[in-house]
Amino acid sequence: MQTSPSSTQRKLNPVTSTVAVNRPTILCVDDEERILRSLRMLFAQTYNVRVTTDGNEALQILQQEKIHVLISDQRMPGMTGVELLRRAKYIVPNTMRLLLTGYSDLDSTLGSINEGEVFRFINKPWDADAIKATVASAVDIALSLGDMTLPAPSANSTVTDHILVIDEDPLSAVQVRELVHEHISAGLVIHHAATIEDVLEALRQHEIAVVVSEVRIGTADVTTLIKLLKRFNPRTVSILLTTFYDASMLVTLINEAQVYRCIPKPIRAKLLLRAIEGALESYWSFQVAPSLVKKHEVEVSKETTENPLASRIVGFFKSFSAQRT
Amino acid sequence: MSEVESLLVQLEPVTPSHTVDDVSELLLHDDYERFLCLPVVDAGRPIGVISRSEMQKIYMSMYGRELYGKKSVTQFMNRKAVVVDMKQPMEQISRYVTSNIKFPITEDFILTRDGQYSGIGHVVDLLKVMEGKLTRQSEEITRAYRELQASQSQLIQSEKMASLGQMVAGVAHEINTPLGYVKNNVSLAQDVFAQLKGLVASYDELLALLMGGEAEETAVVRYLGEIDRQRNDFWSVYPAEEVDNLFGDTLFGVDQISEIVLNLKNFSRLDQAAVDEVSLNQTIESTLVIAKNVLKNKVQLIKQYGEIPAVKCSPSQINQVFLNLLTNAAQAMDGNGKILIRTWADERYVYASVQDTGKGISKENLQKIFDPFFTTKPVGEGTGLGLSIVFKIIESHKGFIRVASEVGKGTRFIVALPHPKDSRHANKPELDTAQA
Repeated sequence: MQTSPSSTQRKLNPVTSTVAVNRPTILCVDDEERILRSLRMLFAQTYNVRVTTDGNEALQILQQEKIHVLISDQRMPGMTGVELLRRAKYIVPNTMRLLLTGYSDLDSTLGSINEGEVFRFINKPWDADAIKATVASAVDIALSLGDMTLPAPSANSTVTDHILVIDEDPLSAVQVRELVHEHISAGLVIHHAATIEDVLEALRQHEIAVVVSEVRIGTADVTTLIKLLKRFNPRTVSILLTTFYDASMLVTLINEAQVYRCIPKPIRAKLLLRAIEGALESYWSFQVAPSLVKKHEVEVSKETTENPLASRIVGFFKSFSAQRT
Repeated sequence: MSEVESLLVQLEPVTPSHTVDDVSELLLHDDYERFLCLPVVDAGRPIGVISRSEMQKIYMSMYGRELYGKKSVTQFMNRKAVVVDMKQPMEQISRYVTSNIKFPITEDFILTRDGQYSGIGHVVDLLKVMEGKLTRQSEEITRAYRELQASQSQLIQSEKMASLGQMVAGVAHEINTPLGYVKNNVSLAQDVFAQLKGLVASYDELLALLMGGEAEETAVVRYLGEIDRQRNDFWSVYPAEEVDNLFGDTLFGVDQISEIVLNLKNFSRLDQAAVDEVSLNQTIESTLVIAKNVLKNKVQLIKQYGEIPAVKCSPSQINQVFLNLLTNAAQAMDGNGKILIRTWADERYVYASVQDTGKGISKENLQKIFDPFFTTKPVGEGTGLGLSIVFKIIESHKGFIRVASEVGKGTRFIVALPHPKDSRHANKPELDTAQA
């Protein structure tokens, strides 16, 4: 204790009370106080850091103060992280939502996609530099969004937008076509792709608004394609159809593809319809307010891009965008 | 050749025009040695059989040959011969023949196709075919039984894997939380140390300046100013109290992780005796640590431990029993609920009960809950083996398990293990330690 200065000196500069007005604010929620102390110390130099162990209190803070980024634990007594993020989405849609969890099980990963619509899913233990970078980009996006409100979907539905269904089973495309034409608009064009080549061909021909995709076609892993599609075509909104779940695969699809919904097979028509409607609304809102696209900014991971399939797809997107400009 | 065809022995039948003498001549012939009887056929249709024993009766009676030798066999034949159609399946033929043939066996049976005579079948051949069939069937049953046993042990294994998966998920969560702040704190400590190094370096420079003897006052002041700025920066970013907390939390987190590992070891008891004398209070406590993650958020635990003697058991198996009961209890409560754990003893048994305020079990399901493969969980979520394994474990300990439940109110399981002092359980529990 010899090295510590006198207590009066310390009180002059208590880090937690230096509320710099111009600093962005982040809110951390976890039932373990030690996590909160640790996060506060990590971020105190850069942001105003608010912490709470209680989900309800977090909701109150969100209503009273401008919070740029919300970081929540998943397993908490009273309210799960997914539930908190879901509610936060309605109260403050421009607050970027991050889930920080000790175990990525199916409940939390599926919930993060379908309910929380989270920006990033981070596993504990996290890497200090990585989480700093993630929070920094989330803060930047929140700052650029400001108080922008989601534009109401106007008469957009008359536009002939394109939906691409990626599935070996042609029935999925038939089902989507019937649903969309009957309930949304007969003007929407549905394309079916059964191979990666089909997908690239469809992308060459049309601007795709919504992708409805299986995770695999044959032996090919479609998730790489979905991730790269979002990276190069950020306006395209993707919906995942799948018969099997793998929590860690879903985590990468959140972080690197910002998948909008994950729907189990066999497909329930209502669920799929609602997902497509929501995805189209999202796409249309990007048309009206292009800066909203930032909300769906994806993480770029080496593992995803360092394989032959990925480099082929990256090559396609690069040459394609070069042709366009 | 089908089984039925293999029975067929072609034999020229006798006709109604043949006499008793004709038949006796045939039967004495070597070619007919094997035949117990000869078929009598009229216009292709069998009308009866004339047997060797019937012929003996005729010839053994006084003047039998003289009186009856020239008469038609039809007068002496058995008109109710056993006739079977070859189109029938083997099982049906054998059932018909065995139930209609007379004992002692003096006749064979006639085989027909669409009512037309085909030949004769020996009862002995039929029995041989049937014996072969039975042997094959019993082999099949043995094989099926073996396969069933293998698949059952596979299922028990998959049930174990399922509960292991649940446990791993819980434990991973329990460990990753302290690991989260420990790792972050160590990163922070690196930053703290980096800043301190800078500060110490500035002190070193000042010291070197002062020791050099030719220190100009302005330079010293400048150094002091710089050091003061660094000091203030340091303390403002890392207040001592917070840094102390940081180290305290880190050590706490590491302790927590070691405690979890220790509990895991206690729970699995891999390094301890398979059979041991333990208090149920103790096994429940170590199980609770493992089940903590399942119970954590929604369950209020009430523990009423009684003073109970240690019981001789396989602690890892008993742990498995309590983990199963506690997990079930937690799963039965959708919202918030309470679990009451009690232990007590009488002179015969030591008891432990797990009672929840969950949704309860209906009467019809209550009878089946210990049956293997019975589950109310959706496909893929439960093997339906958990409670049947619990039942087996308790049974192998010479104890018993009882359940009471009311829909909407909750369920209570009582586990009883033999009291160590009760001589009535003199036969030591047959512990299936190999299966643990």
